[in-house]
Amino acid sequence: MTPIASSLFAIAVFAPLGGFLIAGLLGRVIGDNFAKFISILGMIIAVACSWCVLGHLLNSNAGGVTVPLIDWIHAGNFNATWYLRMDMLSVSMLTMVTSVSLLVHIYSIGYMAHDSMPTYRFFAYLSLFTFSMLMLITSDNLIELFFGWEAVGLSSYLLIGYWYTRPSAVAAAIKAFVVNRIADLFFLVGICVLFILSGSVFYDDIFHKIPELAQTQYHLYGYSFQAYEFIALLLFIGAMGKSAQLFLHVWLPDAMEGPTPVSALIHAATMVTAGIFLMARMSPLVEFAPHVKMFIVIIGATTAFFAGTVALAQPDIKKSIAYSTCSQLGYMFVAVGVGAYQVALFHLTTHAFFKALLFLGAGSVIHALHDEQDMFKMGGLYKKLPATCLLMWIGCLALGGIFPFAGYWSKDAILEAAWMFGGSVGHYAWIMTAITAFLTAFYSWRLLFLVFHGKPRDQKIYDHAHESSLVMTLPMCVLATGATIGGIVLAPYYIGVHQVAFWGGAIFNAPSNQIMSLMHHTPYLIAKTPLVLGVLGIIVAFVCYIAVPKIPVAAASGLKGVYQFLLNAWYFDKLYDFIFVRPYLALSKVLWKVGDEEIVQGMPVSIARITNRSAKTVSWTQNGSFALYAFTMAIGLVVVLATFLIYH
Amino acid sequence: MNILNTVGVAPYMIVSALLFAIGLFGIFASRKNLIVILMSIEMMLLSANLNLITFSSAFGNLTGQVMVMFTLTVAAAESAIGLAIVMVYYRNRHSVEVQDTTMMKG
Amino acid sequence: MMPIILFYIFATILLLSAVMVVCSRNSVHAALFLVLVFCNASGLFLLAGAEFLAILLIAIYSGAVMILFLFIVMTMQTNLVQLKEGMQSYMPVGFCIAAVLVVELIIVAINWHIDPQIAQASQQPLLQNMSNTQALGALIYTDYILLFQICGLVLLVAMIGAIVLTLRKRPNNRRQVVARQHMREPHQSLEMRSIELNKGVDELGGFLRPKETYFGVSQEDSFGPKPGDKMDITEKRQQMKEQSK
Repeated sequence: MTPIASSLFAIAVFAPLGGFLIAGLLGRVIGDNFAKFISILGMIIAVACSWCVLGHLLNSNAGGVTVPLIDWIHAGNFNATWYLRMDMLSVSMLTMVTSVSLLVHIYSIGYMAHDSMPTYRFFAYLSLFTFSMLMLITSDNLIELFFGWEAVGLSSYLLIGYWYTRPSAVAAAIKAFVVNRIADLFFLVGICVLFILSGSVFYDDIFHKIPELAQTQYHLYGYSFQAYEFIALLLFIGAMGKSAQLFLHVWLPDAMEGPTPVSALIHAATMVTAGIFLMARMSPLVEFAPHVKMFIVIIGATTAFFAGTVALAQPDIKKSIAYSTCSQLGYMFVAVGVGAYQVALFHLTTHAFFKALLFLGAGSVIHALHDEQDMFKMGGLYKKLPATCLLMWIGCLALGGIFPFAGYWSKDAILEAAWMFGGSVGHYAWIMTAITAFLTAFYSWRLLFLVFHGKPRDQKIYDHAHESSLVMTLPMCVLATGATIGGIVLAPYYIGVHQVAFWGGAIFNAPSNQIMSLMHHTPYLIAKTPLVLGVLGIIVAFVCYIAVPKIPVAAASGLKGVYQFLLNAWYFDKLYDFIFVRPYLALSKVLWKVGDEEIVQGMPVSIARITNRSAKTVSWTQNGSFALYAFTMAIGLVVVLATFLIYH
Repeated sequence: MNILNTVGVAPYMIVSALLFAIGLFGIFASRKNLIVILMSIEMMLLSANLNLITFSSAFGNLTGQVMVMFTLTVAAAESAIGLAIVMVYYRNRHSVEVQDTTMMKG
Repeated sequence: MMPIILFYIFATILLLSAVMVVCSRNSVHAALFLVLVFCNASGLFLLAGAEFLAILLIAIYSGAVMILFLFIVMTMQTNLVQLKEGMQSYMPVGFCIAAVLVVELIIVAINWHIDPQIAQASQQPLLQNMSNTQALGALIYTDYILLFQICGLVLLVAMIGAIVLTLRKRPNNRRQVVARQHMREPHQSLEMRSIELNKGVDELGGFLRPKETYFGVSQEDSFGPKPGDKMDITEKRQQMKEQSK
């Protein structure tokens, strides 16, 4: 590995940081436009560098290389030097993240043009967000990873709550932050346990020690289980929070309160993929935790199904896409769980293209309709927004997994892997994901039909709609290209014949784990089922929303319970509100009223009161009357004399 | 010729103790008159002097009597200053009542 | 036998008059009883063999201190009758403390003992053959010379203190700067005027003193209103004149 590649790699990681620092700290001084320019310039540098590194890595076929930066923490035997890890896993992610982020940056120029506030802050946050994610994916040890992990959480908090004057945005930001903290706690404990077991936080050290520590067992309530199962579970829970898997997904739809480019960034590149990345990065460890892998598959498949059903009923265009992300992340975790990390990353990459495209498209629609997000007020917009309509179609085709768009390749691969994983878990996952494939197609085209086709439902909104500017459509075109050909181009490298050479050992598959070769031998019918189901979903959507629009209305009124159930996202928010939030608030109130005001605050107050009163009492003796002083002296004399007599 | 050989030390001490107690009592009893308090203090000093002289004579050591001289000096000085203070006090407050002396505080 | 009787007489009168000092309503009476106390105490001193101190006590207390007390008491002109009214409420406490103290002191007086050897060692044989006054002088001017000097200083300080405390500047005190007065020339204080016959001085404003010299020799602010002040002596006279008219 040449030093030039290492330098470019480091520049790619730190260019967004530079953009953030200059735009964020000096934005007020250098002006809004210049700040935007700087942050986009940082992203352009990052993209250029990352593509160079990617090209270099593809040519040289070198394995994992660490790029030392600075000493960070040395405490006893704990050592966390700041290295950047350059292998195909990090570089491919780096390329994808920087590229998507650059496009989102450019798109934001147009999207945020009408914002009343100066937007340098927004661009600075975007750059910070990108840098955090890059820090996460280029980490060489778990502490760095955790730094990036938390930085991602912080910047997502800042961006979701960007419009801080809206209470709902602030609440959503806090929710995202808190839910992520809960998951991060597990993650942190996982890191600690791993450090205790292996004595290091560096990936290489940990992975080298895995065979010898594989026999370490923990005992709990009479059950014995491998230490690695425990660690993998903790890490997975951390990943669940970031990647919005079932039970910890609640923050994701609320995160739609942020500006739409942020949603694109969160969903495509910088945040929710962190969980998948973590699993892929820790693949040498996860491979030794078969039970946790099962658990991952079940959670992933259930999430995919759950989010797919919820997306059916959402009236909000962004929430619908948000649940779709949740669902697609479920797919990825299914792939992780069955041991096909490459497939997960493949889907992650293709998903980044089409999901970013969809969000930017949705943003374009929202922008065109002056912040209207309700799909039931749209309709027939293809005349007004032809470019956006076309691009959204491409995005939905990719999302729906229609040949030959990107989603087809990656999604099919996941289903194949799930089928070939076999067993009840594998088949459960296959059934769930197959149903979800149908649902995906259905809700995607529901969105398309509601927004772009049919008749305008709100003539006023329709009349004021206008096509977005070139600065917004151009990034979408780039993404559309990726969504169209990304699958067909990348499939051989990510999961196909070149995959072993491509990854260069960055992803570990246990010798017993032959899923990567097995999945190419899926039965023909099984392999083609998702495509059929996808097309079926499109047809059903067409019937429901174009041909016979009365069907969904009738279904919603006829199956009111089901509709409400789906609309409220299976009542998870209400459930959590009931189980956690309200008791927590009640407890907080008790602690506030009793613990803080009565005890904590009461103590100093009553001490002050006691002091005050006793001082007043004592000050009576200092009343200035010398008769009293003399009296006191005399009593003292008597007492001294008495003491002398008694003890003499 | 020493009286103490016949009377003894104890009666002298008892007399001086009683004198001291009367002086002390006087301080509390005459809470209204500063001058009486000064007088009481003089009596207490006198009782101390009486004790000193008693023991001086009892041991044939004149140091006690020398001390009495010094005590008398200090007592005279004290009464002079005390009376001056009372005088100033009276001038300012037009009263010598002890209960009015409530200005000795911050 | 005679000294014992004398002792008890003296002691009894001493204590009774001490009680009277405390209890008398009239401060003058109290002061006089205090004189009695000191006289009797000097009698006890005499019996104990301290002739010089006995004389000293009478000289200092009865002669000087009590005069001082009486002088102050009589100067104050307070309503003597009302002085003792608040006495009753504090009496019990004071009495209790005094009683406890007496008991304690009597216990001490009865139980005290001293090592005979120490008593022997504390004898001062050199002073045995001298009179009391002579022996005291021998001690004061030798062993206790420094203390004696300090006593003098204490008295000096007491004197200065008493003067400082009681001295006060009245605004109308008329005090002169003697040096300036001595330096004054006749023409500064005298103004020669020729007054016509049968006219008198009233038209000239009466007999006037040259003001500048007058104020020039007096202490600052110690003599009436200054010439520039609102009401100077000339105006006052004119006012009086107008009133008499």
